[in-house]
Amino acid sequence: MRKALIIILVASFVFAAAGVINTATAQDKPVLVVSTWGFNQDLLDKNITEPFEELYGVEIVYETGNNSERLSRMLERGENPGVDVVHFAGSFAYTAMQEGLLQPYDPEKLENLDELYEWAQDPLGDNYAIGYAVSSYGLFYRPDMVEEPITSWADLWREDVRGFVSIPDMGTTNGPATLVLIARAFGGDIDNLEPAWEQLPDLVDQLVTTYTRSSELISLVQQEEVWVGAYPSFSWGQLVETGVPLEPVIPEEGLAGFLSVVSIVKGTEQEDLAHKYIDFLISHDVQLAEALDLVDSPTNATVVDIPEDIAAQLTFGEEIIDSLIFLDEATVAENLEEWITRWNEILVQ
Amino acid sequence: MRVDAQTRSLVLLIGPALLFIAALFLLPLGTVLANTFRNEVGAFTLQGYRDFVQDPVVQKVYLRTLRLSAIVTVISALIGYPVAYAIARMRPGRRSIVMSLVILPLMTNPVARTYSWLVILGRLGLVNNVVGALNLSERPLRLLYTETAIVLGLLHLFLPLMILSLISAMENISIEIEEAAQSLGANRLTVFRKIIIPLSADGLILGGTLVFTGCITAYVTPALLGGTRVLMLATLLYQRAMVLIDWNSATIIAVAMVVTTLGVYRILRLFRPRTI
Repeated sequence: MRKALIIILVASFVFAAAGVINTATAQDKPVLVVSTWGFNQDLLDKNITEPFEELYGVEIVYETGNNSERLSRMLERGENPGVDVVHFAGSFAYTAMQEGLLQPYDPEKLENLDELYEWAQDPLGDNYAIGYAVSSYGLFYRPDMVEEPITSWADLWREDVRGFVSIPDMGTTNGPATLVLIARAFGGDIDNLEPAWEQLPDLVDQLVTTYTRSSELISLVQQEEVWVGAYPSFSWGQLVETGVPLEPVIPEEGLAGFLSVVSIVKGTEQEDLAHKYIDFLISHDVQLAEALDLVDSPTNATVVDIPEDIAAQLTFGEEIIDSLIFLDEATVAENLEEWITRWNEILVQ
Repeated sequence: MRVDAQTRSLVLLIGPALLFIAALFLLPLGTVLANTFRNEVGAFTLQGYRDFVQDPVVQKVYLRTLRLSAIVTVISALIGYPVAYAIARMRPGRRSIVMSLVILPLMTNPVARTYSWLVILGRLGLVNNVVGALNLSERPLRLLYTETAIVLGLLHLFLPLMILSLISAMENISIEIEEAAQSLGANRLTVFRKIIIPLSADGLILGGTLVFTGCITAYVTPALLGGTRVLMLATLLYQRAMVLIDWNSATIIAVAMVVTTLGVYRILRLFRPRTI
């Protein structure tokens, strides 16, 4: 009888204790809500979510969707964002900043900030965003079809590649960069696009077609419709897989660089934790792990030890990093509509 | 009383479908449509439509859509008439075999069917292989992403509709009428011109409407064979909605497509002969 009583007592203590621990973890574990794309989620969990949760005893909840979906959701919620940290492409972060959805980060709270390349530390100005991953946009050509190497955007106008060129549509992410790089090739720049507008009519007959998605470019290459093209770095792996011989080019005008940025959402109640998350994201170890898994190219300058075969698939290495140019998001946002209209008048037949 | 009961059962029978369409189709459609008449602060405006009409890209694309659709309709009528006549005059057994051959393209998936044109017209395609073998051109020709490619694809897609409409009209023309005309001295061409064409005009109008409106609304064919620069209304609509995320102007394009389709239908009806 006494034995039974003891067992019951012990058992109830155990359950009670377990209950206490359970409620303790459920109630006291802070939750950080992160809005992101949702690509490569398994690798993100391995490299970021799990180690971060373990390190700080917190829980990360993700809200996923593409840039515009997530931006419009945040706009609808207004004062009550329900999100603490947001990942965006640079141009969308700029819009979010303009709409007053973001709050500046505190540089004092980010130990790893100094390790980032300068262009990644504060790309939007006033500490509204941090570039934690970089990608680029360059040219490629088919060495088996094009005798004289392509070295500049101006080469897209060459007689020997007529009808075999493809570039993205103006309405796509890479549209503005295309325009600016063409302007640079003919002596202009983002503040003087006239040289580009003057040359564009002659590009019409050079193009086989334009593309709106990188998958379209890949099938154009596969069908051997394209000898020279402009491509975003993340599609390089798939381009190579087509089996068509392709040579990547760092054009004289430079490679357009694109940042994936992370920002703190205005109205968050997890300001401290949000800073810790960002600091973790830009730390050497996380940046290296993400690079080794081909998820993102690092913006942390201390990440140097990447094997060559992996580095070749990233926006990485001195030569590439030095040739990156970044468009001013404010200028792009201000003029995009006009650019699209003018571009379509020339290129849409 | 009897009428009331009838009405009631009618409502009961139609009700569920009507509710379904109203809630899931008409209501959202109406909302989107209403938004095209509103400006940022919600007041009534026609600015969206004014911009649409004045947009040079839209003008180009709209005229191209009408032009290519007209070309496809005329060619399909020219090809369709002799085929339909021959089939209508065949023995029943043979006719069903030939008919199923005509229908076959309609039963293939449009994406697969259009991809077959990529294979034929591509740089490594059939046409370019022949051109290369005959040394007609130094370099492979650019055949894809042109208006010609779109016309070929649309013709392939819609010719069967024209042939089928013409056959059903010609089946009603009894062979005796032709024989009577011939016995009165008309030659075969006169018979075709004065008897067959007027009597099958209904089929021609029906087929023409189907082909023309089909061309205006087709998406897959112009998307794959025209690419992103040789746009038709359907592909322009897609670009505005999915690439530029501009739902308003996409809706206006959709409205323009519906209005054009209805207009074409009304106009073609005017040509229906009132003979007999």
